[in-house]
Amino acid sequence: MECSFALTGKGYVLIAADTTAARSIVKMKIDEDKIKSLGPHLLMAYSGEPGDTTQFAEYIERNIRLYQIRNLYPLRPPSAASWIRRALADSLRSRKPYSVNLLLGGYDTSNHTPSLYWIDYLGTQAEVPFACHGYGSYFALSLLDRYHDPEANLEEGLAVLRRCIDEVSKRLVVSPGKYRVKVVDKDGIREIEF
Amino acid sequence: MNPMNTASHPQQRQFNPYTENGGTILAIAGLDFSVIAGDTRQSEGYNIQTRYAPKVFRLTDRAVLAVNGFAADGNMFVKKVKQRLEWYRHAHAKDMPLHAIARLIQTMLYARRFFPYYVYNILGGIEDDGSGAVYSFDPVGSYERETCRAAGAAQSLVQPFLDNQIYFKNQQPALGTSHPAHLPLPQVLRLVIDSFTGATERHIEVGDGLEMFVVLAKGHDLAGLEGIAGLQEMSTKSDGERIFVIRRELKKD
Amino acid sequence: MEYNGGSVIAMVGKGCVAIGSDLRLGNQALTVATNFEKVFPVTDRIYIGMSGLATDVATLREQFRFRVNMYTIKEEREIEPESFAHLVSSTLYERRFGPYFIEPVMAGLWKTQAGEYKPYIAAADLIGCLNFAKDFVVAGTASEKLFGVAEGLWEPDLEPEDLFETISQTLLNGVDRDAYSGWGAVIHVILPDKVITRTLKGRMD
Repeated sequence: MECSFALTGKGYVLIAADTTAARSIVKMKIDEDKIKSLGPHLLMAYSGEPGDTTQFAEYIERNIRLYQIRNLYPLRPPSAASWIRRALADSLRSRKPYSVNLLLGGYDTSNHTPSLYWIDYLGTQAEVPFACHGYGSYFALSLLDRYHDPEANLEEGLAVLRRCIDEVSKRLVVSPGKYRVKVVDKDGIREIEF
Repeated sequence: MNPMNTASHPQQRQFNPYTENGGTILAIAGLDFSVIAGDTRQSEGYNIQTRYAPKVFRLTDRAVLAVNGFAADGNMFVKKVKQRLEWYRHAHAKDMPLHAIARLIQTMLYARRFFPYYVYNILGGIEDDGSGAVYSFDPVGSYERETCRAAGAAQSLVQPFLDNQIYFKNQQPALGTSHPAHLPLPQVLRLVIDSFTGATERHIEVGDGLEMFVVLAKGHDLAGLEGIAGLQEMSTKSDGERIFVIRRELKKD
Repeated sequence: MEYNGGSVIAMVGKGCVAIGSDLRLGNQALTVATNFEKVFPVTDRIYIGMSGLATDVATLREQFRFRVNMYTIKEEREIEPESFAHLVSSTLYERRFGPYFIEPVMAGLWKTQAGEYKPYIAAADLIGCLNFAKDFVVAGTASEKLFGVAEGLWEPDLEPEDLFETISQTLLNGVDRDAYSGWGAVIHVILPDKVITRTLKGRMD
């Protein structure tokens, strides 16, 4: 089943998402990238109803890009989060709402702060030090409560993420096999081999 | 389809042996006394059946039982407890100790595990060692000795207030002092009255009358009870534990 | 109301009002965030608290900010608490048959002809039925508990610091008996010349 995790550390945000694309009980694909880069310093992991996810993620991606082209600077993470939240909240009361859950991680280059937003398909938004979506949250949140350190360096952050993913692999019946891990910091976005 | 022809439709009927009669009960234990209180309104839905239906009963000279929930079950249960206590008196020539009454109530409730008495019980009184005690029960007999407990319709209104005022939850004692483990009788009575006026104000099933039973340990002075209006002594002897009842009207607006 | 959990309360004092909320944001029984404030400033002397569905809390916060700004521009003056309460009411009633799932609680000070400030509080249900109370108003998953404690602790004409203590104790002890609310609280005491904001630690469980 779909799982995504994210956590903040000293000057970075780490985001991990599983890579399976499933339809009913069948795995259709095992190398799907479910983390989009929305700008030079903004990452978004998305999960939910297949179809809605890619459709909505691409809509967000293009609109955030449009803002950057029009204004010659990118939207900062809090503003991007608010705009995306509003898109979901408006969709919720439309004829066919998107059912997409998001983790939005960004690094604000103007004040050098990493920030992470937990957003669900209803348009509920929370700025948090760490977050999860999917069944993984029942295992990972307690580990993150215990081991998360907002002042941890990247290596320590990855070790905590490793704990979460290992626990989910060990205890969740329908655990996903592979994850893609990305980090955003002052230097931009990188993918990390995990 | 002919509406009169019910034979072709499968029909289901269910007799519901329970109802909920509202009201609230409350008990607080002091160091050497115990206060057990309940309102006297009995209702079913929006209908008030009576403005005076006692929910608090004297069992012995040192035990008082408050019952709340389904009134018929409550009255029957109190009757059966009283009967068992009388048998005990005949067999042992003394009143049953409070902790033993608590265990008796547990077994009586659990005996009906699969057709329970639909009542929440609170037992208050004086323990053999002279300490004030409160025992609270769920309908199937789980019980616990506590310092205070509210139950019934306004439990959710009263219990957090008691947490704050009796257990001093969310309060820090001034430097070098500590919170008292037990409060004096006049203050306990004030808190009981405040709890019930508060519950009367905000809950439609609470009101009309208030009955507060006060059980004093052996040799305890009246501690200011003398001057209280509507006081009535319920004890059979004056040299042992003593029971008083205070009856009040609750706010009418 | 139980989907995200949370509770809000407001109380009247002597020449001051207080409003506060807990900090929990949940997904049913799962706690997602413990820093989710539900009380927002409207003007320097009006605050609104909202409990209920968190997405609607955010949406209506934006909506109210927009409408209050439009009011300020058109009227060339700041909105008064009573007008704001009616603005909230009509905004909610617009969605009478597909409502926003929130219960708002408002607190503010209004200026009399003589130039002094008088306390004003109000609450509404999810479709905007207003309740102007003289003492206190509550909303959210712990509302019953808050009613009980407030009824026991509140008294008329509390000075700002006493009002702060009263509302804090009411909120903390109320949410401690509610599984859907808690994880600390935030309190704003609104005075004519300033607002005192304090974040409280609670049982944190």
